Amino acid sequence: MAKNSVEPIEEYGLSKKAQPETLFSKIGIVGCGQQGSFIAQIISGAGMDVVFIEVCEEKIQEAYGLIEGYLDAQIARWGMTDSEKKAIIARITGTTDWSALNGCDLVLEAIHAQEREKRVEMRKEIFKKIEEQVPPQTIIASNTTTLAITELSSDLKHQDRCVSIVFFASSSDANMIEVSRGIHTSEDTYQKVRKFATLLDKEFISVEESAGLISVRLTVALVNEACDLFLKGVSSMEDIDRTMTIGLGQRFGPFEIADKIGLDKVIRWMENLYSEFGDLKFKPSPLLRKLVRANFLGRKVGRGFYEYDENGNKVINPSEKIF
Amino acid sequence: MKVLVLNCGSSSIKYQLFDTEKHFVFAKGNVEKIGLKGSFVKHTKDNGDKVQFEGEILDHETGIEYVLGILTSNKHGCIKDLNEIEAVGHRVAHGGETFTQSAYLNDEAIEKIEEIANLAPLHNPANLKGVYAIKNLIPNIDQVAVFDTSFHQTMPNYAYMYGIPYSLYTKYGVRRYGFHGTSHRFVMNRACEITGKNCEDLKIITCHLGNGASLAAIDGGQSVDTSMGFTPVEGLIMGTRTGDLDLGALTFIMQKEEIGLHETNTLINKFSGILGVTGVSSDMRSVEKAAWEEGNQRAQMGLDMYHYRIKKYIGSYAAAMGGLDMIVFTGGVGENGPETREDALKGLEFLGVEIDPDKNNGLRGKEQVISKDNSNVDVLVVPTNEELVIAKDTENIISNK
Repeated sequence: MAKNSVEPIEEYGLSKKAQPETLFSKIGIVGCGQQGSFIAQIISGAGMDVVFIEVCEEKIQEAYGLIEGYLDAQIARWGMTDSEKKAIIARITGTTDWSALNGCDLVLEAIHAQEREKRVEMRKEIFKKIEEQVPPQTIIASNTTTLAITELSSDLKHQDRCVSIVFFASSSDANMIEVSRGIHTSEDTYQKVRKFATLLDKEFISVEESAGLISVRLTVALVNEACDLFLKGVSSMEDIDRTMTIGLGQRFGPFEIADKIGLDKVIRWMENLYSEFGDLKFKPSPLLRKLVRANFLGRKVGRGFYEYDENGNKVINPSEKIF
Repeated sequence: MKVLVLNCGSSSIKYQLFDTEKHFVFAKGNVEKIGLKGSFVKHTKDNGDKVQFEGEILDHETGIEYVLGILTSNKHGCIKDLNEIEAVGHRVAHGGETFTQSAYLNDEAIEKIEEIANLAPLHNPANLKGVYAIKNLIPNIDQVAVFDTSFHQTMPNYAYMYGIPYSLYTKYGVRRYGFHGTSHRFVMNRACEITGKNCEDLKIITCHLGNGASLAAIDGGQSVDTSMGFTPVEGLIMGTRTGDLDLGALTFIMQKEEIGLHETNTLINKFSGILGVTGVSSDMRSVEKAAWEEGNQRAQMGLDMYHYRIKKYIGSYAAAMGGLDMIVFTGGVGENGPETREDALKGLEFLGVEIDPDKNNGLRGKEQVISKDNSNVDVLVVPTNEELVIAKDTENIISNK
């Protein structure tokens, strides 16, 4: 009868030469809300292990729910198989224990700050807590679009490993990340992040440190202008959206994209840009304010510019008109 | 000659160490999950003992280094020194129009394979990783590439061209290439040996039915048509691939489902075929069980579709060659599925195909003629052995260098 046995492999290397280091095998994410969970499934989908930090067990379960939601949506669109989904989820671990960040090659902050005044302080605090857990070569990144990485990393011992990496979460196949370096970011860190983008199969968009980068600035300008067109009675929301989708070949129109991102988030972006640049073009349209006050925050609550059913699909003929 | 045969995939490596004179396999195994969590090497010795080696394997070169380490180790090895390996033969997925047969791997050949990589972006680069790794680990050893496509390079142009603008052929090389060439070639030769006939006098259809599946029409020893095309999606219904599909239906689906390239690719490669039709599995045994033991009608329909498509291709290839002398079954389903063989050939008596149920029923994984003695067409089951072909080709090319 043939024998079966199991052994460790290390003794069977031919030479004692140093193993090539994997630059990115384990990635940490701090804050696993909509953004964090979106990013977690992208990174795990590229075959890397992901550990995410949340504040309590309930939030962890919520994050798993969001991740499953993103993956199920891809399965429904034939973009992924069930077994691929299982493998992706198996590589993601949620915890409240910060020491789990130990051993991460890159840690990304993706928190959602409720209070605007504290958004810088909170993130600086998180950066410090991350630094306590990881060795000096671990890259620490922020997913924030409107805050400067130079400021967020100002209290750290090793600022050269800090960088801003922004995943534009309009859809899973938005195949790019925007990367900007702060004053202290080293060339080595920057080049490693380039490699990271390649591993994720995402285009690397290089941006100077500037609030709103490219994606956010263009998006808010488009949404604001679309609101203005609508308010002045130039055309209907549907027709404004159709002009961008059919006429300019974009996947979504400005109102659809705003609903997808979340109107509260769009307003936050605008306010941040307005306070940074002081330019009136960034001042949120009154229409946006009105909707946010009514808690019509977009697709995630079933209502924004448009109405949505429980599956997040646009209701073609809403029973009652919002406007 | 001792030849190491390597088949490098994107995250796996299959290996066998051959003695080509004695057709003896010293050891074989596979490296799995390269670059991923939980990577391991599963090694089988010539006495059947299995050892699993677990630990981090970050890339192909590390994987191959461990394989060489295992082969030369005191405890589990079968050779004393790496120099005992005289040559390395690689399976390479795509040889384009450049490689009409297996090739000695000098710098020029490697460069050409790199150029063809855009035709097989998932496979050729992985195959090449194995070539580079061996170059680093055993410098100056002779290496040979055996291509999945080269056997079909004898197809006439009217069989390999598609009805699309000619410029797309000249610009991108869009045409039928076909795959499983090593397997079709092996079972053709073996079937002729078994029956004592000369392949140059015969019109043969070889059926490679595995998870991927293709037929080849072989006239006088040369492939004249095959069911897989520019990619392995065309032709027979497979485990999870569509096989032939109206392109108009595909653009219609893309529009209705609002899906892009990535999703469309997954749809036709991973969600379709037997799995998509039956909703049961991509594995024929599970589908057969569902159809015959549980009365699942959709599963039965899936089987009927699978068999019908094979029959249709056999008929068209018999017409293309103007006759038929031999049918050979191979691959997981072809070797182990008597019902598939029987059902696919039912109704082909007018072509002179008559299966002997006594020989066919219950036959699994063994070489055998399964047609009646008086059948005009010989029908055979021949287990494929692509590794042996790679080892033999490697030996031939090195000896005649």
